[in-house]
Order: sequence, then C-alpha cells, then structure tokens
Amino acid sequence: MRTLAMCVLLGSAIVAGQHFQEGDGKKRNPAIGNIVAIAAGEKAFNEGCAVCHGQNGQGGRGPNLAHGRVMWHTLSDEATYKRIKEGVPSGGMPPTPGSEEKLWQLTAYVVALRAPAAESPQTGDAAVGETLFWGKAGCNECHSIRGKGGSIGPDLSDAGGSRSTTVIRMAIEDPGANGSKGFEKARVVLKNGTALEGVLKNRNNYSLQLLDGRGELHLLLMTAVREFTVAKQSAMPPNYKARFSAAEINGLVAYLAKQTARPLQAAN
Amino acid sequence: MIKTAMALAMVAAGAMAQVKPEDILKSPNADWLTYAGDYRGTRHSPLKQITVANASSLVPKWVYHVPKASKLEVSPLVHRGVMYITAPNEVRALDARTGRLIWEWKDGRATRSDVNRGAGLLGDSVFVATSDCYLTALNRKTGALLWQKQYADTKKGVFCSSAPFAVKDRVLVGTAGGDTGMRGFVAAHNATTGEEMWKFYTVPAKGEKGAETWGEYVEWGGAATWLSGTYDPELNTLYWTTGNPWPDFYDGDRKGDNLYSCSVVALDVDTGKLKWHFQFTPGDTHDWDGQSWPVLVDRMVKGKMRKILLHPNRNGFYYVLDRTTGEFLHATKLNDLVDWASGIDERGRPIKVPGKDPTPAGNRVCPGVRGGANWMAPTFSPDTGLLYVITMEQCDIYTSSAKKPEPMTGFSGGGAGPKPRDAGTFYLRALDAATGKRMWEYPMPGPGVAWSGTVSTAGGVVFVGDDEGQLVALDAKSGRHLWHFQMGEDLFASPITYAVDGKQYVAIASATAVFSFGLFEPAQSVELVKGAR
Repeated sequence: MRTLAMCVLLGSAIVAGQHFQEGDGKKRNPAIGNIVAIAAGEKAFNEGCAVCHGQNGQGGRGPNLAHGRVMWHTLSDEATYKRIKEGVPSGGMPPTPGSEEKLWQLTAYVVALRAPAAESPQTGDAAVGETLFWGKAGCNECHSIRGKGGSIGPDLSDAGGSRSTTVIRMAIEDPGANGSKGFEKARVVLKNGTALEGVLKNRNNYSLQLLDGRGELHLLLMTAVREFTVAKQSAMPPNYKARFSAAEINGLVAYLAKQTARPLQAAN
Repeated sequence: MIKTAMALAMVAAGAMAQVKPEDILKSPNADWLTYAGDYRGTRHSPLKQITVANASSLVPKWVYHVPKASKLEVSPLVHRGVMYITAPNEVRALDARTGRLIWEWKDGRATRSDVNRGAGLLGDSVFVATSDCYLTALNRKTGALLWQKQYADTKKGVFCSSAPFAVKDRVLVGTAGGDTGMRGFVAAHNATTGEEMWKFYTVPAKGEKGAETWGEYVEWGGAATWLSGTYDPELNTLYWTTGNPWPDFYDGDRKGDNLYSCSVVALDVDTGKLKWHFQFTPGDTHDWDGQSWPVLVDRMVKGKMRKILLHPNRNGFYYVLDRTTGEFLHATKLNDLVDWASGIDERGRPIKVPGKDPTPAGNRVCPGVRGGANWMAPTFSPDTGLLYVITMEQCDIYTSSAKKPEPMTGFSGGGAGPKPRDAGTFYLRALDAATGKRMWEYPMPGPGVAWSGTVSTAGGVVFVGDDEGQLVALDAKSGRHLWHFQMGEDLFASPITYAVDGKQYVAIASATAVFSFGLFEPAQSVELVKGAR
C-alpha cells in the first residue's frame, strides 16, 4: 500500500505522455492514469473499500481486484465507476457515497491496480532494474526474456504487457503468494536410480511432466518413478525485499514493466 | 521395469534433440512434424502397428479439452512424445502419451480471434501465426516467447489462420481474408530472427504484369493463401494454392482471368521468385478457392515416370500437373454434380457451360459454394497408389450484386446457399492418383457441416473424420468399414498418427477437444508413489 502510494507520487514526472484511451478509442476521464487522482483514490480506497477488498485490492471478503481476471476483458472505466457508485446489492457490496470527483478517483485507483504495468506510471529506474535482472539479483538464472535467460521460471518477455505493476511487485516481494502451479520445485527418483530435479509442469497419480534445470523436458509415467518430493515453497528466493533497496526493487519493477511481447498500441 | 526405464530414457533423450530440416524430410515416422506430416502433402505414415486386422480394437487413450474452444481446426504436430496444438492465439504442448498439459501460451493482446490450423516446428522453436498475423516463435520446451513479428496488415483486410511451414532456415506463412477484399501473399521469414526474407504477392500491383487480367480493384483482388504449402526439396520449389478473386460472386469490375487467383504457384524457396503458375478457375465467380492441397508424388503417367502434382479442386475437377514445369497433364470430373463446365480442355482451361454465372435473381449451379472438394486434407498412399479425398455432392443457388465494391465491409458481390434446403452428401473417394479414376467411395451422410480430413498408414488403414462427429477407419484398398468412434461434436480438423515408446496413436481434434486413440491394452494398476501428496 505504502509502496504503491510512493510509486504514484514519485511517478508524476513520468505520467505525462502516457496515452489514456480505451480500446475503442474513446477519450477517458481525466482521472484515469492521473497520478494525483490515483493517490487520492488509494487513500479513499483504504478508508472505505480495503475492509472488504483487502490492501492493494488483494481481496478478502470482497473479490480480489488485482488478480483473477484476464486483464484484457475487465470492466470498462464507466462500468467500474458505475459499480463503485451503485454497489452490487446482490453480492453484498453497498453503494459508495461521495462526489463524482471522488468516485472517479476511486475508479482511477482500481483501474491502475489491474492495468498492464507497461501502461502504468513507473517510479523506478529501468536501467537499474536491467542491471539487477541480469546481474546480482540473478533473475535471469531462472527467467527468460525473448529467448535469453533460464527456463525453469515463468517467461517474462511480456511481463509488462500481461501483468499489473501490483502483480509484478508482489511476485518479487512475496513470491508464491499467488501459488506457483506449473513451477513447483520437485525432485524425482526413478526406479533405475536416476535422480532428476526441476519444476513440475503437471502431475497426477499416473504421470508427471518435469522440466529440469537445463531446460529439458522429462515425460514420466509413474510406473517408472520410485519417489518424488515437491517443495512447499516457491522456487523463487523469498528474500529480495531484504536483499535490495526500495529503489532497486522499483527499478526491477520498472524494467519488467517495459517488457512487452508486441507494441502497446497493438492492444488498442 | 527395466523396459520402462529404457523407454523413459529414450523419451528424455528425444526431448532434447532439435528439430532439424533433415528430420522434417524424414517425417512422418514416429513424429509428425508438419501440418500434412511431410513436405509433400501426402499425410501418409509408415506406421503399421494399427492394421486392417486389428483396427477394430482401437480405443480412446486420452482426451484433452481445450479451454473455451469452439471450433478447433488444428492438425496437431508431434515431436519425440510432445504434441503441439493450437487454438486461435493459443499454443499448448501436451504429453502425447497421456494428454497432460506441459505448457500453454496465449496472446492476450491479439486484436482478432479467427480459426487456427496449427503450428510449425524447427530447431527449438514452435511457430504459430496469431489471428492478427503476428508470426510468433516460442521455445518448444517451455512455451517462452522468443520473438513476434507482424507480417501482414490487418487494417488492409488480412487475417491469418494457416500453420507456419518450416523449410530450411525459414518459416513460410500465408494470409486469409479474400472474401472481403485484401491482397494475398506468401512470405518467408528467418526462423531465428523473424525478419522477412521475401514476399510473393498473389495479386499484381497496378501496372505490374498480370494487372491487365483485373480491373480497378486489382489491389483488393484477394487470392488469399490460407492453407500451408507443400515443398519439393529436389526441385527447391514451394507449391502454394490461392483463393478466389474478390468480389467473389460478381466479376463486372474484374473482367479477365484475375491472375493468380484460384491457382497454384510454384516458387523458388530461396528467393520467392515465381517459377510457373497454373490457374484452375480463371475469372472465378463461385468462390471456388484453389485451396485444396497440392499433393506431390512421383507416378507413371502415360508410360513415363513423372514428378506430378495432384489437386482435387473446389470447382469439381481433379487435376494432374507436371510439377517441374507446370505443364497440365489431364483433369477428370471429381464430382457427379458438376454443370458449370463440360470438361477441361487440352490447355487446362474449363470448357464453360453458358448461363452458369450468378445472377441477381439466383442461379442454380453445381458444385455448391463449399465446392466439390475443399481444404479438408486428402491423403496419398504409395502402397495403393490412391489419393483419398473428401468430396461434396451438392448444388447451390448463386446470386450476384453489381453494387460498387467496398473492401472490408463484408461485401462479396453476392452470395450462395442451398435452396430448397439441400445439405448435400460428403463422400470419401479413392482415386487412382495418376488417372483420377474413382476406385471406391464411402458415403458419409450427415448435416453437411463437416470440414474434417484424412490420414493413411502403412498398416493399410485410412482414417477420416465424417459429417457426424465420428472418426472412421476404412480399409485403404477397398473402403470397407473397420471401426468408428463417436466424438460427440462436429469435426473441423484432420487426423494424424504418431508413435511414442513403440505404440502407435491416431489423434484428431473435435470442435473443442483433442482425442488420441490406440490399440486396446488391459489397464495395469499404478501404485501410489512415495512422496506424492
């Protein structure tokens, strides 16, 4: 929560020049993407909405607003505004009182929570992040960008185009918080004594598909497996927040936010 | 146990191997590495574990339901135990023995969602074209993005649906959208970087050679290239078929042959230079794309062994060409219901029957708009010398409109449809490849909605998806029914066959799922493994 507020404030210089048009080319409310409006919206969110929707919109009694939906098919700005204003009586969400300006500030905050990081203001220095990614943070040992880097972690070639800033930041600061399905670290011993280590792409009682540290696939029938163990923790190191400064992590977020598979305008 | 461990080691080692151009030259074997299995478009596999004698014991081995799919047209690829399937803007890798998902890739930013017919494989990459024409290379082991390159402009009426075709160091791609105005082309892109190497337009620009065969709208003329091509490595030649001229049903603004619509073009794979072309339906007014497969085989024709190209066409005729020179050898009627032309003359041009163009009031013409044959994949068996092709017996009422053509508005110069309601009947026909003589046929009654194709095997079996959701196995020699399985929904894709750990499978996509079949084996109890939770 605090980090996002900082992001938002520090990012005011960057926000100029962002393009804020909806997919159909309609002009958006000036609050959307506006750093001051988003900060005001966050304050209002924490005072009224976070009770149900959780800090950073991570969910609680109410739905998670930053995850769980395909980002490209979320509600339009107007529909989000309407939902905030009128509530969802059938789901137990009350109407939100306040001026039109305040409701648009809230809308701007909710939109920012789920917007692709590449389209959101960033405070960090992407160059710092790039150096970290390929250097002392060692992200590239597991993650790849456009074919360079390791292969046992999720590909980050489209990190900024497919994930919100919040999601990227949480993945760094609290890895595994949203599960690690398809990337669980595992060790498999075959009946012939061969031991394999890697991440599980899929498994059930009858077969498993494992990607080893060299990026090779092993398609195993369980009739060939003597034992296997699955780590309870994410394979991602849990201590980045302690190891790196806020500026470094902001830089990493900014660098990942820049990674898009195709030009952003193609989305519109 | 030892046997299993050995098998496992083989699979593990196999997964490491790259897909080399020479591997594709040997495909299909246990693997199925191109849309049609091989470069020649034959869809014939040397696998022979499944035979005429035991096909009755086929059972489903697994089913993979593709989330949110509604009309899968994919022909799967298989390499060393991994199956690659596509849906619009999506690619998935499955364990080909178990149907378990290994990875999936989705392009959430694609601006269109149309059908997709499959992937290409080369090196460590799997290639797919998104509906909005981003040629995409993914790491075939992880699904990680390697590069994306938009190769056609969707703002000019183009969309993309065909499987990329990997030849040498390049990936060949085609274009769709010819029914609403666009300019078709085939392009080669560097498989490592995605950079364009050459582009061959199937419709000339104004002022270029061939433009005189069109009218004012030449640069919106269509001739889309919406199926993959075939390739002869010895001749270093790529064969690609082209779609209808636009507007589909009215030629008032495009009097002439409309080159190179409804044709096959032979291109130098290194340069994209045109070697020859052959046009099946000059100045077409019935939407009879030339998209059926150009199948490349070597057969005796009139006492001489020749490199020939087989082509069952949507216009109701079956063509045999010399693929070295493009020389027309002969054509025969593919369908019983053909009334727009009385035959094909010695130059390969149709002998047209007057009064068979679409009219404002409607004119009944055979074959119907879906054609005597279409893109449903045929197969050629060198063991029988037969080409197995799905044909449609139907006529349609064709209408025309002289309205001023406006590209990308859905205008196609008229339309076509059955009146009164006549679903027509699909037949799988076995033709003597060299002569076109019909050796047997197998009727496939149904609602007339199928777009499935075929695969044949050295086991003497032809598999075909029918018009009622069934995969059917027939004796390749006689057309005798051996086995069928009801998949519960319509079929728009063609079957393939592959092997893993010495076991042969036959796979096909239904509208929403991929099924894989193999010979029945009693289940063996699987002990719970220590450490599993």
